[in-house]
Amino acid sequence: MAVRVLVVDDSGFFRRRVTAMLEADARIDVVGSASDGREAIRKTQELKPDVITMDIEMPVMDGITAVRRIMAIQPTAILMFSSLTHQGADSTFEALEAGAIDYLPKDFSELSNKPDEVARILCARVWSVGSKGVSGRKPVVSASVSTPSVKPTTHGTSPVARRSVSPSENKGKFQLLAIGSSTGGPVALQEVLTKLPANFPLPIVIIQHMPGSFTEAFSKRLDQMSQIEIREAKNGDILKPGLALLAPGGKQMLIEGRANALRINIQESDAGQTYKPCIDMSFSSIAKTLPDKTLAVILTGMGADGCEGAKLLKQGGSTIWAQDEATSVIYGMPMAVAKAGVTEKILPLQDISSQIVSNV
Amino acid sequence: MAIEADDEILQDFLVEAGEILEQLNEQLVELEQNPSDLDLLNAVFRGFHTIKGGAGFLSLDPMVAVCHRSEDMFNVLRQGDQVLNSFMMDHFLEVLDILNAQFDQITAGEDPSPASDKLLLVLENMVKGETGEVAEETPTTEAPVAEAPAAEEPVNEEPQGDITDDEFEALLDSIQGGNDTPVPPNSNENKSTDAKAADPDIITDDEFDNLLDELHGSGKAPKVSAANKENKNTGSASSDDEITDDEFDALLDELHGSGKPPVIPETDEKVVAKQEAAPKPEPEKQVAASAPEKQPEPVKKEVTKKADAKVPARPTAEATVRVDTRRLDDIMNMVGELVLVRNRLSTLKEAMNDEQVSTAVANLDIVTSDLQSAVMKTRMQPIKKVFGRFPRVVRDLARSLKKEVNLELVGEDTDLDKNLVEALADPLVHLVRNSVDHGIEMPDERVRKGKSSAGHVLLSAAQEGDHILLIIEDDGAGMDPDVLRGKAVEKGLMDIDEAGRLEDRECFDLIFHPGFSTKDVISDVSGRGVGMDVVKTRIGQLNGSIEIDSKLGKGTKLSIKLPLTLAILPTLMVKVGQRNFALPLSSVNEIFHMESYKTNVVDGQLTVMVREKAMPLFHLTKWLVTNMDEPLSEEEVEEQVVVTHLGNQRIGFVVSQVIGQEEVVIKPLGHLLHGLAGFAGATITGDGRIALILDVPGLMRAHTR
Repeated sequence: MAVRVLVVDDSGFFRRRVTAMLEADARIDVVGSASDGREAIRKTQELKPDVITMDIEMPVMDGITAVRRIMAIQPTAILMFSSLTHQGADSTFEALEAGAIDYLPKDFSELSNKPDEVARILCARVWSVGSKGVSGRKPVVSASVSTPSVKPTTHGTSPVARRSVSPSENKGKFQLLAIGSSTGGPVALQEVLTKLPANFPLPIVIIQHMPGSFTEAFSKRLDQMSQIEIREAKNGDILKPGLALLAPGGKQMLIEGRANALRINIQESDAGQTYKPCIDMSFSSIAKTLPDKTLAVILTGMGADGCEGAKLLKQGGSTIWAQDEATSVIYGMPMAVAKAGVTEKILPLQDISSQIVSNV
Repeated sequence: MAIEADDEILQDFLVEAGEILEQLNEQLVELEQNPSDLDLLNAVFRGFHTIKGGAGFLSLDPMVAVCHRSEDMFNVLRQGDQVLNSFMMDHFLEVLDILNAQFDQITAGEDPSPASDKLLLVLENMVKGETGEVAEETPTTEAPVAEAPAAEEPVNEEPQGDITDDEFEALLDSIQGGNDTPVPPNSNENKSTDAKAADPDIITDDEFDNLLDELHGSGKAPKVSAANKENKNTGSASSDDEITDDEFDALLDELHGSGKPPVIPETDEKVVAKQEAAPKPEPEKQVAASAPEKQPEPVKKEVTKKADAKVPARPTAEATVRVDTRRLDDIMNMVGELVLVRNRLSTLKEAMNDEQVSTAVANLDIVTSDLQSAVMKTRMQPIKKVFGRFPRVVRDLARSLKKEVNLELVGEDTDLDKNLVEALADPLVHLVRNSVDHGIEMPDERVRKGKSSAGHVLLSAAQEGDHILLIIEDDGAGMDPDVLRGKAVEKGLMDIDEAGRLEDRECFDLIFHPGFSTKDVISDVSGRGVGMDVVKTRIGQLNGSIEIDSKLGKGTKLSIKLPLTLAILPTLMVKVGQRNFALPLSSVNEIFHMESYKTNVVDGQLTVMVREKAMPLFHLTKWLVTNMDEPLSEEEVEEQVVVTHLGNQRIGFVVSQVIGQEEVVIKPLGHLLHGLAGFAGATITGDGRIALILDVPGLMRAHTR
C-alpha cells in the first residue's frame, strides 16, 4: 500500500517539484495539494493522507497553525519544510512541538547537490514517516510544558509495563548523562530535559542530529523551558553538574579529560561523515574518558547512530537506556541498541526523566 | 534530469516568479504608504521567500543571494523590530530592479548576474539594524537634479535669502568640480559601518543624501561630501556628473528666484547634527505616489501544464491549465479562417436561396461568433499587468521631481487582448510620465493656485462596447492653446493666420506632431526617445485612437480608444473601380452621397462643405485603380463619400460603391508587396475575392504633400 501524501506549499512551483519527486517513487502516492494552511486542513479531512509535507510560510494560515489544527482533528504524520536559518529554527521547533514529526530543509541544495539524491532522501523520509501508520500517534509532550497549544499528553497509555526500579540501585554510580537522539528528538528532548530539577547533580551532554544553524536556537529554546542550564557546546567548555551541553550541528563533539575535569572538544566534520553531530563519535569518546560512570540514553530517531558507541560504553561498564517503540516517533536508533542487547531499560518517553532523577 | 525537463521546470519557475515580481512591485509601493501593514509585510516576505525557494531549487544563486537578504530584512520588519523607512524602501526597490533584470536574463537563457556586493552588504547591515549606507567605492551615476543643491542650502546656510559670494563660490566649485569626485576621507576601502561610526564628524555621501531625503521627503540630492557640509567654503563637492548649462540656470533661478527655498525648522538642523555618524531612519513622510484605496489582492493563479504528459498527472483536478500563447495564436488564426469561410458561405447562401442551407448557415453564423468571442476571451488579460507598474513609476518620478502625486487606478480588471496589453505598456508609461512631469505642478505652486499640494493622476480602463477606453487624467497645469499656437508658428509648422484658426482641441493635437516639444529643456524624464508622435503612431498601429482635452489650470485628459482584439478587424467594404477595399471601421465616421453636397476646389484641393465645415475630398479611384481596370458602368457608380478621421481631421474618400460592414481577418501582405504604403494587409472577402485593407494614415502620407 503506497503512502498517500498531501503536499502543502503556497508556491505552485514548489508543490509541483515536490509532487514530481514523490510521484517518481512507486511507494508514494501524492493524493492532493494545498496552497495554504486552511486548505491543508480541509484536504486533510477530505483525503485522509498518511503524510503531509508542510510549508511554514503561507498566506491565509501559516504552517504551524495548520499543524496544530490538523493534529487536533485528524492526527497525521507531518513533515515540515523549513528554512535552515536561525529564524527558521524557531518556527520549526514550534511546528515540531505542535506535532509535526520531522523537518527537511526547504532549500534542497542543503540536502545534496544532486537532484537524484535530493529526490531519494525526500522519498525515504516521506516513506519512513508514512509507512509507520502514525495517523493514530499523538504528540507526547507533557502538559507541564508551558505551551498552551500543546495537546493533552498520553500519560499512562504506554503498553510497556513500568518496572519498579529501586531508586538507590544506581545511586552515586553516574558522573555523566549522555543523550543521543534524531528524528522526533527535539520534542522528546524537551519532554525529558524540562522535567529535570535545577539541582540535577550530573553534567549532561546531548547529541541531536540537527543542522548547524538550528542547534543554537534549539539550545536557547530548551534553556528557556528548563530549570537546568542548557546551551550549545563550545570547544573547551568544562562540564559541570546541572549544565547540559548540546552538540553543535555540522560538527563533532568529543568529551575529553579526566573524571571531574571533563571538557568539550569540538572538531570539524570529515566530508564522509553521515551524521554531524554523530552520536557514535561522542559516545566513543566518553567510553574512553568515563567508561563505567555514564548513563547513556538513546531516544527516538531514524537509523542506528549511537549503537556502536553504546556497545563500547556497555563494555566499559556504563548503563544504556532506550526509548520504547510506542512513544518513539521513529523506532530506529532505540531499536538498534535494544536489539544489540546493551540496554538496561526500555522506557516510555514520559517516564525517562523521572527514572533518570531517581537513579542519579 | 534531462535538459528538456530542466527547461520545463525553469519555465514553471519563471511563470510563478514573474507573477510574484509584479505583485512585489505593487506591494512595495503600497507598503511605503502603510509601512506597518502587517499583511503587506507578510505578503512581501513570502514573495521574496518563494522566489528564493524556487531560485534555490534551480541553483540560481545570484537570485537566492538577493532574495535571501531581503527576506531576512522583511522578517525583521514584520516582527516589528524595525520600521520600514525610505532608506530601506529605496534599497528594496533596487532589489526589485535587480531581480527583474535577473529574471529577464534567465528568460533570455543567460545566467543571472549577481547584485553588487555593496547592495548585499547594505541589506545585511539593515538586518542588523544599521541603516547607515556603505561607503561607496565608485561614484553613483545618477544625474543630479537641478533643484537639489538648492535644497541643500538651507540645511547648511541661513534658511532664507540670497546666498553670499563665498557660498556661491563654493556652489560653483561643487558644480564645476564635478568630475573630481573627491573621496570623502572616510569612504575608503573599509566598508564597515563600524569604522564610520568611529569617525563621528563625517558622514558619507549617501548618508547625507539619505538624510536630505528624510528631511525633504523626496528626491535624489547630488552627493555632497560631509567635508563640504562641515566647512562650507573649502568644500569641493563630489557631484558626479557635470551639470548642464540649462540645469545650472534653473539652479540659479531656484536660488535667487521667486520660489522660496524650503525652510527647515531648527529642530531638523539638530537632527542633522546628531545624525552625522549614522543617520537614524525616520518613518518616511507620505510623499510619493500612492493608490491608497487599493488593497493588496494576492492574485493566485493556479497553473499547471495540461498538455504535458511528462509532468505527473495531478490527482486532484486543477481548475486552470497553462497554454502556450503560440497555441492560442494558432487557434485565433484558425478561428479567423473560419470567420472567412463563414462569410463566404453567407454570400453563397444568398445566391442559393435554399431555406435549409440558409438555416444551417445562420446556425453556423451564431456558433462562429460565439467561438470567436470565446477564443478571444482566452487571450484576454487584465490590464492590471500594465497598470501594476505605474505606482512604482509615479513614485520614483515624483520623488526625483520633488512633486507630490497620488495615482488612482480604476478598472484594473478590465480584460483586453494579450498582445494589446503588451503593446500598450510603453505608450502608457510615456503618457503617465508626461502627466507627472509636465502636468502636475510643484507642490508650492499648486498651493498658490489653491489646489491641494498633492497632484492627482487618474489612470482608468473600461470596456465600452467592442472597444476599450483608457483615460489618463491629471489635475495639473493643463495646456495653453495659445502657447501651442505660438510654438507651431515658431517651429514653422504653419503661419500665424492658420494657427489662429485652429480650434483649441486642434491645438492640443499639435503635441502629437513629430518634433513638437514645448519644453525647452529636455529633462531626465521626457526625452527618452519616445515622443508623443511615437505614442500616437503606436496607438494607431493598434487600430486605436487618442484624444486629448485640456483646460488651462485645471488639468489634462487623454483618452485612448482601442479595439478589444487585433486579430479580427471590423471593416467597411467599399468598391473602388472594380475592386474591393476594406477600410477599418474604427476610422470611419459617416457615409453620404456625393450628389447631395456641393464641392469646391480650394487651393487646388477638392473640398466639400459638411455642416458648415470644409473637408478635403479625395477620389480613391485616382489613387488605387489603374487604367487597365475596366471602369464600372455608369449606373453602378454611386459616388459615395466615406468620411474618415485622421486625428481630429476629417477626410472624405470618394468611392464607387459602399458594400457594407464586414469582419475580416488581417493577412499580412507577402514580402513582395511588403512596405507598400497605404495598405495594412489583405483579406478574403465573403464573395471569395481578395480585398486590400486600407491604412488611412499611410494612404494620406503616400498620396498627399
